[in-house]
Amino acid sequence: MPNVKIRNLVKKYGDIYALDKINLDINDGELFILLGPSGCGKTTTLFSIAGLIKPEEGEIWFGDHLVTSAERNYIERPQDRNIAMVFQDYAIYPHLTVFKNIAFPLQIINLSREEIKKRVFDTAKSLGIEDLLERKPKQLSGGQRQRVALARAIVREPNVFLMDEPLSNLDAKLRVFARAELKRLHKRLGITIIYVTHDQIEALSMGTTIAILNKGKIEQVGKPDIIYNVPKNLFVAGFIGSPPMNMIDGVLKQENGYTCIDLGFTKYKLSDELEKIKKMNNKKIILGIRPEDVLISKQNASNSIKANIDIIEPMGREFEIHLDLGEKILIAVLRKMDSLNTGDEVYLTFNDKKIHLFDKNTEENIFASNYKD
Amino acid sequence: MSSHEVNQTETLDVIDDLKWEKIHSSKVFRLSKIKQIIKRVILYNVLIVALIVTVIPLWSGIMSAFKTQADLSLTSPLAPPTIPTFEPFIYAWQELQQPLINSVLFTTLATIFSCLLGSICGFVLTKLKFKGSNTVFLLLTLGIFLPYQSIIIPLFITIRNLGIYDTMWAMILVHSVYGIPMTTLLFRSYYESIPESLINAAKTDGAGIMAIYRRLIFPLSPLPFVVAGVFQFTSIWNDYLFALILTGANFEPASFALSNMAGGTETAWNNTMAGTFLYSLPILLIFVVLGKYLMQGLMAGAVKG
Repeated sequence: MPNVKIRNLVKKYGDIYALDKINLDINDGELFILLGPSGCGKTTTLFSIAGLIKPEEGEIWFGDHLVTSAERNYIERPQDRNIAMVFQDYAIYPHLTVFKNIAFPLQIINLSREEIKKRVFDTAKSLGIEDLLERKPKQLSGGQRQRVALARAIVREPNVFLMDEPLSNLDAKLRVFARAELKRLHKRLGITIIYVTHDQIEALSMGTTIAILNKGKIEQVGKPDIIYNVPKNLFVAGFIGSPPMNMIDGVLKQENGYTCIDLGFTKYKLSDELEKIKKMNNKKIILGIRPEDVLISKQNASNSIKANIDIIEPMGREFEIHLDLGEKILIAVLRKMDSLNTGDEVYLTFNDKKIHLFDKNTEENIFASNYKD
Repeated sequence: MSSHEVNQTETLDVIDDLKWEKIHSSKVFRLSKIKQIIKRVILYNVLIVALIVTVIPLWSGIMSAFKTQADLSLTSPLAPPTIPTFEPFIYAWQELQQPLINSVLFTTLATIFSCLLGSICGFVLTKLKFKGSNTVFLLLTLGIFLPYQSIIIPLFITIRNLGIYDTMWAMILVHSVYGIPMTTLLFRSYYESIPESLINAAKTDGAGIMAIYRRLIFPLSPLPFVVAGVFQFTSIWNDYLFALILTGANFEPASFALSNMAGGTETAWNNTMAGTFLYSLPILLIFVVLGKYLMQGLMAGAVKG
């Protein structure tokens, strides 16, 4: 299977840029996730790869084979690209039985009856829907329909799989199973999947690489743990993670040989390992800290911030604690409550290694360039 | 159901009955009831008059069709025949046999062509939008409002120059083309309800435009085909103007032949009425057979379109 290369892709709807110079490299065998809020251009990117829409600028390559080039006014038709797509509403042909739905792409390429029968049956069996082959789509549940759509995509052994939010119509419980199943399928078939979702849990749990899009631009591309631990900018930091990262405005100060952040209501000393910021004085920044990296103690230690527990939300396995800092509410996540109650006065410290600092003007992560994907 | 529940519902029933009696006996209720009855009486009278106006010609037509020539002049048009006879039907059948076959042929073919073309146009205009497709659609729909009469002379000249004047092909061509705007409108509104993702799925499954139409759109369209088909069949079957202008002695459509039956120096109304009855049979048959699907199709269009 070839790599997919996207170069300077631009798509406009009227005056609005749906895609604004997108560049992506999708390697063979990846489960590549396009993640972003609605209207960010992720589906437009996917449809461009499929050849369902024509971009205004840019090129798309499958390996050495050019499939779309706005500059050369060339666009290979979707039916000639050997791709398969799974749609959000599954798009199962309502007038055909499950068998004929799965056989549809094979009939188009005029395979023999025996070959079609064999391949449809094998695919159906691998997805556990061999008993449903004679049914009409109306008689299927959501989960079954999703499998039929998958089977129809797998059966023709395409170059690239495109999936447009294939799990978003399933109920929450089924989605967990479907996620694992898709991941297993990806591993078993070793295929390239380009997967669009707005659900960060899906992205983090399934993806081998994630590209985060916002307003037609790519914010960050990387492995899930890098995206989570080293967000390149404020948008990625805020978008990934639930509950979201806490953000506090502040100013970097150099005082008595220490670097600290003036948060307005208090000053927070940073550990001296952070070399890069030592030269920065009076720089406006935004401090980001994930809820699980906020440490709560009842004892007042040095360099801690006083707060009151505003509300406690028990989430079953963990507790979300809203902390009132006077001017700002922070959220912390704890596994154990240790006899904390609403209204208690507590002292916060941050896990120094997990502190993120963003330039207030550029919104870029000041440390991000230290890491390489 | 437990006994407790039974008791409860019984008590509720008793209360309801009591209330009901109270309402019944009240003056207000009696007045409103009288008002309602008067309204009904007026309504039904109007409906009965309308019914009579509609049914009398039909009744008189059917009665006349079973009368002999003598019976026809002796009895009132509304009276049943003294001795029912099939003579008029035999005569009308002899007269109309060939024209009826002609009409069935060109009406069926023109219906099929105009529905197929309308379906293809509807598909292209909804699912394969191109630059100016809305303008094309607008121009097409304008065709619906174009009165036959205004194009009759250029149409006649065109048909004559094509060398198909007074043949079946003239009627098929004209009706197929003239039906496209209406059928396109019908199919387009139905195809709007077919989700875009189905088309995209077919495209990525390797289907080209023709395969998408043949394997996906066409099999999904039985309902609009019934609706458009019945509509087209009825209007083509009933057409008189095109038949009058574009055909002559060589190829006689039934509508034209029927009017000829009544058009002599002396009209034999019994024969004409029998002919009329024969003429309306195919349409009746279509509505009886396809009525159920027609309703479904119209409802589908109404709700989704």
